[in-house]
Amino acid sequence: MKKDFKMRLSKNDKKELDKFTKFLALKATEVIVQSRLGEKVSTPCKPHATGPDWFNLNINDLPEVVIEAKKVLNSDLFLTKKFPFCIEISLRTAEGDNMVLETWCARLLDPYDTGTNNNGQNIYNRMGILLKSLVSVTRVTPAYKLSRKQGPDSYVICYRMYMDEPLCHCLGEGHKQIRVGQICTAIGTVQLSCTYRTKMTISPTKTSRDNSLMLKSDHFNTNLSPRNRRYSSSDDRTSSLSETMKIGAFADRKRKHFEEPQLDLPFCTFFADRISLGDHPEEEEEESDLSTSPKEEDRLSCSGNETTKNKENNGNNVQQQQEMSMVSTGDDFIMVDLKTPFAKPSGEKFELTRFFREWQQAPLLETFKELPPIEATDLQKQLETFESDLNEFDSIVQTLCQSSPNNN
Amino acid sequence: MNARSQVFELTLEGRQADEAVASLFHTVLFHRCLGKFLYNNESSYSVSTVGFTDVDCDFIDLTYVCCSSNSLNRQVKQEISNFSEQLRSNESNGSGQISLEFFQRKPSRYLFLQPECIPWEVWTVRLQLITLENEVERQLCRERVGDHLTDKILYITEVMNRQDYLPKMPSKSDTDLVFDTSLPDVQPYLFKMNYSISGPSSGTSVGTTMRKFIKESLNL
Repeated sequence: MKKDFKMRLSKNDKKELDKFTKFLALKATEVIVQSRLGEKVSTPCKPHATGPDWFNLNINDLPEVVIEAKKVLNSDLFLTKKFPFCIEISLRTAEGDNMVLETWCARLLDPYDTGTNNNGQNIYNRMGILLKSLVSVTRVTPAYKLSRKQGPDSYVICYRMYMDEPLCHCLGEGHKQIRVGQICTAIGTVQLSCTYRTKMTISPTKTSRDNSLMLKSDHFNTNLSPRNRRYSSSDDRTSSLSETMKIGAFADRKRKHFEEPQLDLPFCTFFADRISLGDHPEEEEEESDLSTSPKEEDRLSCSGNETTKNKENNGNNVQQQQEMSMVSTGDDFIMVDLKTPFAKPSGEKFELTRFFREWQQAPLLETFKELPPIEATDLQKQLETFESDLNEFDSIVQTLCQSSPNNN
Repeated sequence: MNARSQVFELTLEGRQADEAVASLFHTVLFHRCLGKFLYNNESSYSVSTVGFTDVDCDFIDLTYVCCSSNSLNRQVKQEISNFSEQLRSNESNGSGQISLEFFQRKPSRYLFLQPECIPWEVWTVRLQLITLENEVERQLCRERVGDHLTDKILYITEVMNRQDYLPKMPSKSDTDLVFDTSLPDVQPYLFKMNYSISGPSSGTSVGTTMRKFIKESLNL
């Protein structure tokens, strides 16, 4: 029977059916991918359109999906019935964990004669109905609801296409299958199905994320202060406060520029009540002028070149890296504790600038070596902004002081 | 010819009734709507494009798809609203059914008679209304009804892809015997909607109906 069936199929008919089948797979891909973009879809009817759409159904074509799908479908493996064409929908969390949610599968099986009307027009109409079914079914699988709730802060939905047996083991235990429909044609039976995950528990892989960012509500409990935390972590190596202030807790002590005799303590005025640093505040101010010393300028210009180099090399990545540097060194930044309100009014800006620069030039951890340094001009601007917000900081600190029982 | 018949039964809250019926009937109609036929001559035609729209339900955890045709959607909504209003009124005992029937017209042998309507597919939704006590129950009901409708939508698509009977594509002069050509943007197969509501005192069994009928006859 199969032979007779093939005999009846002319070259033109086969070509036509191949074309229909390929376009069905292409349009099915569009339907599936677009349904997972997280937005409601609405396409208008075109009652007077001159150029007919495939299968008389208004399905938008996203160029990137067309390109991706054609890459896979043009291999003709699909029409040889060796492998099914699969579209895998997966979820990726903001932490980088992945979970495959469902796999849609278009398969071409060996043909069989059902005795029904198998002319081109009839098959074309049935393919239209099959696509409509696909549109309806894509809205009711569990992945649809998830896709509508996606966002860059929580998770995003991803897709990929491949020509192989569907990887059902990725869908976890208890996955289910839906057969969307099938059409018998002379070149084979086209079958559309979906296998989807039912257990949505994600097991996060251990990421090497830095958990050093400490979130705490009790800022005024001195025992829990981040400052104490840093000091305590470096207790085994340092015996005096001045040493601690000079060398970062985890920094490489062998770095050359740290051997320079820059003995002035940054923010020493903040600790004037606690530590005896000599009775010469005027000297402090003079020393603060060191920030414009030739050596400093050399180093700054050096770092400025690096930034431009980075900008040239990395383009868009620069901003991202700068953000990263702010996050990763957030602990140290907190050490400043926005203390300008407590600083002496004279010279506080320079002192802060100098501290920032020193902090910037401090020996970097291996991880942060690639990060570009902050430019001096940006720093100045940043400090000026902080300065302009001084009153606001003052008032915040005052309100906190009033409400905190631990603070005297 | 016997019409194919599918019956869905749902238990839900009154305010979910409209959306539940709409989600099922629109899924069916989406499959049973074609683009407008543009005839070149008596037997040759081209078909225009049908658009579709996602609809989020307010009272059920569900999104369904319908044709992007305002005129069709207005017509369907009106029928469902009439049914739902009666179902939720005091005259009802909270149960009723609504049917979507596809039919084709057969010209009568006698010119003065109306053409005969022959149904070929009937979709019936039977509803039983319940009252919920609190929001927790309401939330559970939202999800439960959403899951049930999901199963039914999957069943509809399964039926639609069977190689079952569909009226033949008509020639230009016979189009109105198969399709509703009154709508400007889509061309559904001819369909009508019927509904019935059970009154508070009347049962649904044949026996009760017969008793009522005999009683009324005797009184006359």
